[in-house]
Amino acid sequence: MPLQFEYQPTQGVPEEAPVEPKKKRNINPVAAVVGVIRTNRPTNLDEEESELSVKKRRFRLIVAFGIVMSIVTFLISISISSGGIVPVTDAIAAMFSAIEKGGQNLTTVELYIYQSRLPRAIAAIGVGAGLAIAGCMYQAIIRNPLVDPYITGVSSGAGCFAVAIVALGVSIPFIGSNTLYIIPVAAIVGGLIAFAITMGVAEGSGGSASNYILAGVIVGFALSSVQTVFLSMAKDNLTNAMWWLYGSFANITWENAWIVMVPALGISLLAMVWAREFNLFMMGEDQAKQLGMNVKRFKRTMMIIASVLTALCVAFCGIIGFVGLIIPHACRMALGTDHRLIMPASIVLGACLMLFSDLIARTVLSPLELPVGAITAMIGTPIFAYMLVKRGREYDA
Amino acid sequence: MPEGKFRQYFSGGVQSQSAIAGDAVPSISSRIPADGTTLRIEHLCMNFEDHKAVRDVTYSLPKGKLVGLIGPNGCGKSTMMKCICKVHQMTSGKIYVGGQDISGMKPAEVSKLVASVPAEAGQTFGMTVMDMVMLGRYPFVDKIWWETEEDERVVREAMRTFGIDHLRRKKVSTLSSGERQRALIAKAYVQQPILMLVDEPTSHLDMKYKLDVMEYLKNMARNDMTVLVAEHDISLMARYCDLCVIMKKGQIVTIGDPKEVVTESLIRDVYEVDARVGLDVDGEIYVLPKKARWDNNPDEVHFGSQNGSYE
Repeated sequence: MPLQFEYQPTQGVPEEAPVEPKKKRNINPVAAVVGVIRTNRPTNLDEEESELSVKKRRFRLIVAFGIVMSIVTFLISISISSGGIVPVTDAIAAMFSAIEKGGQNLTTVELYIYQSRLPRAIAAIGVGAGLAIAGCMYQAIIRNPLVDPYITGVSSGAGCFAVAIVALGVSIPFIGSNTLYIIPVAAIVGGLIAFAITMGVAEGSGGSASNYILAGVIVGFALSSVQTVFLSMAKDNLTNAMWWLYGSFANITWENAWIVMVPALGISLLAMVWAREFNLFMMGEDQAKQLGMNVKRFKRTMMIIASVLTALCVAFCGIIGFVGLIIPHACRMALGTDHRLIMPASIVLGACLMLFSDLIARTVLSPLELPVGAITAMIGTPIFAYMLVKRGREYDA
Repeated sequence: MPEGKFRQYFSGGVQSQSAIAGDAVPSISSRIPADGTTLRIEHLCMNFEDHKAVRDVTYSLPKGKLVGLIGPNGCGKSTMMKCICKVHQMTSGKIYVGGQDISGMKPAEVSKLVASVPAEAGQTFGMTVMDMVMLGRYPFVDKIWWETEEDERVVREAMRTFGIDHLRRKKVSTLSSGERQRALIAKAYVQQPILMLVDEPTSHLDMKYKLDVMEYLKNMARNDMTVLVAEHDISLMARYCDLCVIMKKGQIVTIGDPKEVVTESLIRDVYEVDARVGLDVDGEIYVLPKKARWDNNPDEVHFGSQNGSYE
């Protein structure tokens, strides 16, 4: 008997929107900041409000909230130091009077603020924002949640060159051997050389995202081993070298604070121009191409921008881990995947985390100063673990 | 499937297209040359280094047809589709979509004519459905940071049409496979293309959703869009498609009405498998594979060596 089967086209079963049970709102402090931005809707839910205007309002809130939060953190940061705590109002007054005096004939408080706290805070804002945005860019382009700004070997290259300078007392032509800029220049050069090698290998193998990771990892390993060799040769200068490798704002002065902050923050803000293109990348390269994007050129350009940004951040303050890996994820978990929201949020959160970490690094065990990279991880990990537990299930990264 | 809703949007031809697309976008039939050819491919070749994936393919597809693209794995189906939407740069040949040669066009212009639906959403980092469908509007929002209210309207309209509007704030990763597939089709639909390329849309769906997806595709075809579907389920294709394009080793074997071209000898030729092809009580084609050929000839299969141990 021949096989018989029969089927009807599916019937018009109306698909009703499932009634979502009302969740009990238990306010917890960590989610509160996020919650204000996320659920910022009028209580009488206006269902006809367009998603677009919700998004725009969230953007405005992030910007406004971010500016306020940065200023508050900044003020707290300059009021407290190993020299003691001054009231915020006094700190502001002292800051302005010191700036007015141009750094001459300062009182004790003014001296503290003007000479040590202010430049550090300025640099911390730039570095925090820069690392967070670089991480955000890499994660979007490579589509891998484990990616951080150091994935292309920039940190290893920078570390290798910086340690060579510190440990061996090498001098660079035109700059000399003993100036403020010798380590930063070496670090930037080293970082960019490492990135160039990574890019050469990755593009030579077809330029796919995973090849970028592999190339970056092997270049990183190679340069780290060279760095280890230099470290073992360092002897007396070992402490100095280690200091740089764990990151610190101790060497920041007025001369170099602006060199870090202006380009780092500038590039971070500039990168937001391409937020929509980063969104497109979340669907994969074929889909981005299909929607009319020049994927290859975009990827290459953004890789270069992110690497320059990373090298710049690393150059003056050493290798500060964690911020670039975790901040973008935290923002994604809180705000979704739209880069128009998570990029400004990353800038703000990165800057604030860095300010706080620097504050703790220089006060907790004062007069001993701790490496700031260790502090960022110590503050950030519990917060991130909490968010991962809360939101990790629907975040299939 | 919300049949009624579909009729509403897809019944009026020109009128319904403009209802979805807004007045700025002309209807599909006005974007197609007078002879009604949506896609014309001439001598298309695509080589990957020494591997020839597509060899000298020539055919054309009229408007408003649901076309099944059938062939074994690795026969060049996906490669050909990627050439049509300019994801791959073809080695040689010409592709005309709506009468325009796409080789000289900007990618963003091509993406307003051709949309492609991927088989999988992949890793989406917790993207919401609305955000994903909105990505389809990228070619239309050139050089602006925010989409416009018009884009939002088009997207919401499409999501209602595909029955996923109530899911718009959900994460793509939490949807069922059927819902996710519809979201992917909606994303391509908001590009307002005249040709849609769909890659294995039903490969991990159950029966109900297979039919569901095919109904949606069929309805789009009824509305003048040409839909090219690469799919392995030949019975399903034969049931829904107006035309079948059969490929083997980078070349077209035959094109035609599935009822005429899908035969036992064709299956044997293309897949090297014996299959029973017949008509069921409704007069629709079914294809059932018999046992694989090498099963009849056990000498060709060796697991391990003669004395039974693996080497």
